[in-house]
Amino acid sequence: MGRSYIVEDDVEGYLSRLCSLLAGPVTGLLIGQSTVQRDFVVMTTRTPQNDESADGGKSVDKEWVSEHARQVSRMLPGGLSVLGVFIISESDAKDTLTTLRQLVFSVENLISSERLWTPADDDVTDCVTLHVNPKTRKTVCRTFDVKDPKSVAKPADWKYQSGVCSSWATVSCCLSVDLMVPLPENMAFTRNMNDCLKEELKVWAQQIERGVCLIDGKKLPEDSELKAGQKKNVRQTISAQLLITPDVQTAADVVQRCGGCVSVRGAIHSRVFLHSNKPKAKLAEKLLKRDIVSTVATRVQMLLEEPQKQTEENKGRKQTEQTCLPRRVFCPVKSSGPLSVCDYQFSDEGLSEMIDRFKEMLDMDAAEEDLDATREIIAEVVESEATEEEEPAEENEMLDPWRNNYIGVAMATAVALLALAASIVYLSDV
Amino acid sequence: MVLADSESAVILRLRGPLDLKCQLDSIDEVPMQKAISRTFEALRLQVKSESCVLAVCNSPVLIWPNKSVFEEITPDAPCEDIFQFIQTDDKETSGKRSTKKKNKKGVSASVINLSLMMEATKPGPVSAPILTRTVHKSHLLCATLPMDCAVWSSCSDTIKDGCERLMKALTCQLFDMEKVTLQCMKGTTLRVPEPLHFLLPEPNGLVTVVFPSGVLDKELEAQRRELHGQFELPDNRPFFRRANAYHFPNETYRDGYLRNPHTFLTHPTLDNGKVYLVQGIYSYHHYMQDRMDDNGWGCAYRSLQTICSWFQQQGYVERGVPSHKEIQQALVEVGDKQASFVGSRQWIGSIEVQAVLNHLLGVTSKIMFVSQGSELASKGRELANHFMTEGTPIMIGGGVLAHTILGVAWSETTGEIRYLILDPHYTGVEDLPVITEKVAATESHHFRYICELKNILYASRDLNVNVDFRRAGVAGKDLTFGIKLHITTSVCPRGRE
Repeated sequence: MGRSYIVEDDVEGYLSRLCSLLAGPVTGLLIGQSTVQRDFVVMTTRTPQNDESADGGKSVDKEWVSEHARQVSRMLPGGLSVLGVFIISESDAKDTLTTLRQLVFSVENLISSERLWTPADDDVTDCVTLHVNPKTRKTVCRTFDVKDPKSVAKPADWKYQSGVCSSWATVSCCLSVDLMVPLPENMAFTRNMNDCLKEELKVWAQQIERGVCLIDGKKLPEDSELKAGQKKNVRQTISAQLLITPDVQTAADVVQRCGGCVSVRGAIHSRVFLHSNKPKAKLAEKLLKRDIVSTVATRVQMLLEEPQKQTEENKGRKQTEQTCLPRRVFCPVKSSGPLSVCDYQFSDEGLSEMIDRFKEMLDMDAAEEDLDATREIIAEVVESEATEEEEPAEENEMLDPWRNNYIGVAMATAVALLALAASIVYLSDV
Repeated sequence: MVLADSESAVILRLRGPLDLKCQLDSIDEVPMQKAISRTFEALRLQVKSESCVLAVCNSPVLIWPNKSVFEEITPDAPCEDIFQFIQTDDKETSGKRSTKKKNKKGVSASVINLSLMMEATKPGPVSAPILTRTVHKSHLLCATLPMDCAVWSSCSDTIKDGCERLMKALTCQLFDMEKVTLQCMKGTTLRVPEPLHFLLPEPNGLVTVVFPSGVLDKELEAQRRELHGQFELPDNRPFFRRANAYHFPNETYRDGYLRNPHTFLTHPTLDNGKVYLVQGIYSYHHYMQDRMDDNGWGCAYRSLQTICSWFQQQGYVERGVPSHKEIQQALVEVGDKQASFVGSRQWIGSIEVQAVLNHLLGVTSKIMFVSQGSELASKGRELANHFMTEGTPIMIGGGVLAHTILGVAWSETTGEIRYLILDPHYTGVEDLPVITEKVAATESHHFRYICELKNILYASRDLNVNVDFRRAGVAGKDLTFGIKLHITTSVCPRGRE
């Protein structure tokens, strides 16, 4: 009783082209959605050439493939993930299977090491491998359970179909993010900030997971089916909302010493694709929350991976530094219904750099006008040495704080004026 | 606060955490106060914003009060309509629906619980996040405010009105919390403000007061005095101690003891008879509780525990209910027993109970001896009077048995009397229907009873007034005792509400 993969026709065309074009083994990734109900493969992309490889790409480089998978994984909106690996080679089936097995485990380990959300019981842990013989065009499809290190290959069905995702639904929302974490007093500058931020992101991820998700304004029972995919070729967008409550702080000392703080404030656009075979509300909620957590974590991770400016610690004086997180830009996947992939654009990058990355990572040809960069705007950033992070209204004479609305009015005005820029109120007023 | 309606009223209770987080660049008093005030102002704006959501617990009803969006219900419907959406858990045993429980004032109040949440989503396009890093030796204030607002809603109130009142109460509470936080601030020690509800006598009704958490009642005397003045309450009764906090119907008590199981009984009807009951709240203590096997010898200890619980829960003492060992230790300390008494399984009587109440709680008590059953029957008037004026539970003990009298049904004209007895000999679990069957005692025995006078306690401790209300003639007024009596103590027939 193996799994059954329904594969988009375009994938067949792509694999065929790879068979005829290249010599030597070609590896790549299989991308789609795997649920308890169904498995779909909607996209593939070959592993990019490794110019620095020792043997010029003749043998399969496990680490290179895994790293490619990790980067691709960041470019997939919710609902899409790297499901497995393919290899086009004339080698013996058994050897290839061993290679494929190593690859899927390595890929899965690397991708899951970055995840901040906890796996659910109903997650599918099978990864798919495909072996295509370029001469005979024969395909062999097997799955491995990556949760079990001793798992053996299980046969699986591989069926091509046209218009697989033509009536898939899109669930999206824009979500405010407001994190603040203290930095320890004696810190080795950059390293401590990374750790503190990652810890806080984990706490925030749990808060998101606990949140109440509304689909089209209502809290639906878990097993209710969403009205998706009822009409062929009709694009369906479902709006989602998320209600959260803060964590209850249990620290004994309410006021603690710190060496500063790091905050992440702003908002993100989250997007999830759902298959059209009577998807359940539970699935939509799970995928949406995961995409929200992933997109923020990915951006923070990307920022921390950038070479940091080593600013010297100026004892006594308050130093403030602001950096923009990259913004999310979407690119439609041609002839695949409503699907799109995404990438993150730093403030010093142009859209052309994104086009290059879509080509390199996902083997996609896109033009600048295809890109959707309207969902998120890069905020204005104030870079200064000693900024007061308070609104101007507070520099007034002593007012009776609990009876006077003066501060309230002044603050409301300040917030209204800076509506598009980063919020400077301590707790962001959404 | 809003007045309690004597018709069927609904309490809307909103609870939820709010983050109080701010960076303190300086811990000097004035800048720190300003920073805290600013943070509270931001919170007030947050609850007035359109992303504030009220979710009715256990139901699909959601309300955005600041943009008048109502999910599943219409704003003009009466508040009671919300009940049809609430899925109750049916944890209550044998299907007893205590949603409309009559409290002592005869007002039936049902509670609608709401949760305070914030909507994190908003319409796009949005501004991508900014990471701000500030390096500066400073302090961070990080706390959670446990918001808890309760407003009455009469049957004519619409849901919209009810929500408006709740939101006003929420903003008001934030002001109160800010005041309390700033008042109780000492250097870098901050007390998290904690709201408590108190049910005051008419016309005040349900009132919410914010106290600093972690501060003992005795240190809050000035605040309580001010409150007594504000609400025009007498000074000789506690109203605002933590133990006096209103217990909402359907809320379980954290300690697991049952409260006032006698309220689930129906009372007997006597010709021209009236029922006189214990006032206030006590918890039911009986054999085998707290993993203490005192079956056969601990009845007087349990009765004493029930009495102590009354004093604790009415706010007269902060001391928790004493264990058997603590009771025995107290008797050793007053010299009544030898040191070997501690840990033994020896029975105690009314004299010992009086000594312990005096030593551990500072309560003085009166003992009255009764020689014959008929004599107790003639005490009907006195018992009725006691419950009307003092309202404390009475311990009755003699021979090898002890019980607690919680009330009498007495007829002035016929002299007929029935006693409501709380039986400490029960050995089962805290299961209400089982207990209401066993609350009444049926054995005949001889007994003495102890009557507590609470006026002495409160007046002399809190207001430093040396008043001695001890009745003349108690000391040495011994009647003959030791004769076995045959009294049929009738039981209050059990019933279901």
